[in-house]
Amino acid sequence: MTTGFKNTLMEILDGSPRHTASRYVEWAITLVVLVNCSAVILDSVPEIHAEFKDFFHELEFWSVMFFTGEYISRVWSLGAKYDSAHGGSWKGRFEYMLSPFGLVDFFATMPYYMHMFLPGLDLRILRVLRLLRILKLSKYNTALQDLFHAIHSERQAFGSAVFLLTIATIVSASLMHFAEGHHQPEFFGTIPHSIYWSIVTITSGYGNVEPLTKAGEAIALITGFLGVCMAAIMTGIVASAFSNQVARKKAAFEAQLREVFSDGNMSEDEQASLKRLQAHYRLSDEQVEAMMLRAKNKSSASE
Amino acid sequence: MNTAAPSLSTYQRVKRRTFEIMEGEVPDKYSHFVEIFIALLVVANVIGIILESVPEIHEAFMAEFHAFDVFSVAVFSVEFVLRVWSYSEKYIHSGGTAWQGRKEYVFSFYGIIDFVSTVPFYLQLLLPGADLRVLRMFRLMRIFKLSRYNSAFEDMVAAVKAEKDSFSSAVFLLFISCLLFSSLIYIIEGHEQPEVFPSIPAAMHWFVITIISGWGNVDPVTFVGTILVILTQILSIALAAILTGVVATAYTAQVERRQALYEMEVRSVLADGVVTEDEQIKLKIMQAKLGMSDEQVEAIKHQLEEEKHISAANKQ
Repeated sequence: MTTGFKNTLMEILDGSPRHTASRYVEWAITLVVLVNCSAVILDSVPEIHAEFKDFFHELEFWSVMFFTGEYISRVWSLGAKYDSAHGGSWKGRFEYMLSPFGLVDFFATMPYYMHMFLPGLDLRILRVLRLLRILKLSKYNTALQDLFHAIHSERQAFGSAVFLLTIATIVSASLMHFAEGHHQPEFFGTIPHSIYWSIVTITSGYGNVEPLTKAGEAIALITGFLGVCMAAIMTGIVASAFSNQVARKKAAFEAQLREVFSDGNMSEDEQASLKRLQAHYRLSDEQVEAMMLRAKNKSSASE
Repeated sequence: MNTAAPSLSTYQRVKRRTFEIMEGEVPDKYSHFVEIFIALLVVANVIGIILESVPEIHEAFMAEFHAFDVFSVAVFSVEFVLRVWSYSEKYIHSGGTAWQGRKEYVFSFYGIIDFVSTVPFYLQLLLPGADLRVLRMFRLMRIFKLSRYNSAFEDMVAAVKAEKDSFSSAVFLLFISCLLFSSLIYIIEGHEQPEVFPSIPAAMHWFVITIISGWGNVDPVTFVGTILVILTQILSIALAAILTGVVATAYTAQVERRQALYEMEVRSVLADGVVTEDEQIKLKIMQAKLGMSDEQVEAIKHQLEEEKHISAANKQ
């Protein structure tokens, strides 16, 4: 009986589309996280803090209770992930606790208790850790994961871009130091100082210091233009990384589709697993429709 | 390594080996070591130049900096001499003369960088009166030695070449609008603000800054001037968008080209049905050269296997 309940709870918390409850849990957690983050932001305004201090305290207490309940039920229910033949109940639990999500869940809640036992802690650190709760949302929105995947799969291109950026920064800073070091020693007296100027110029297009010499002016313009180019390169890489990733996901989904159609019919189980896959890859219904049509045509053509 | 005929003298064998290690075409332990050593030395040099520009650090570690510079120059000189000496091997087996490879290296981008970043040190020994700042600037060129081990520069040049039509039209657009807008702003605002727009070149300077950063540091005083400034700012956004689009297309096209190249190689390897160890190494080298990630390679392999299945099913 407990194993059955444990399993169901695990699936619900994992966001499985098989249970309607999993969607409500997702919404509830999202809502509490959003309310919490708004409270942290509002709490930093002195007037609001003075007026609603008690309300914020109350809110913090109940959300910590809520998140603690969530954490405990996650840890407990994930014991059902692997049966004793595949590592036992603690394997799934440790896997969760050491995963990025598990760590975020832990550190978003734990500081409250630490504060209870050690009242001398710096409150500002506690507040920052409370803002970590917003990362809990990334479980339900794959944007962050997508970004990391995209960067990971294009890491060589990013490495090249960072290499170019480093060279551009160092060379422009040194040239500026040679050109303007004697005229404005307070800004360009040393290369580390000029590196600050050169980063400002590359990121914003115009530096915090007006060059005095003609050579300095030319270097400043070229550096600013390099900044525009660097932004273009970065954007280009990210854009093509994202579109490559979407293409990869589509290919994976299509392979799955073909497998489903290979025996000619689609069982209910298969349909459910496709739906889950679609949600996981975040493909739109139209894309899936188009791919299904293609797969059906192919399978009927090969017969 | 296997290409060398057994009848070569020891001198020629040593030269051949030096060339292989320096060029790093065939990946082995020694060329890898040389590569990492030189790259680390260059990075240390660049950090040294940066730190040396801080007066306090310079005074405290003057002797150390000098010793390090002497050591680096010695290493880079040996590197340059070895390269010039051994690059005679480059074409000698394909019918060229010994000096063809050497000349190609000396006048290549890397050869010039290697030379210019090292030789000024000796010039200073001969002519102690040279300007130190100029010398430091030449030393800074050592940073470009790193690009030998990173294909970023070559990739960028290749991408620009592949999309040169779009790039040249973007540059053309920029040029025309620079002429037009700076003359207009000079005509309209020149009388009102002679201190910021005294001439058309000054207005051009303002235009370039506005294009780069979105704000040219000048407040227009006339109504038409305001409109011109706003138009210039919109143009700067458009230019950024065009550049980004062109770069993104170029980059995607390049990735596709590489994948196609790799796919062709895999196909030719798979054509006889077996993958020998030699071929596997060849594929690995190719992957490293083309800078493809393992996922991309996996995807290509997967696709080829899939095609095999389909063709096998069709045969049945």
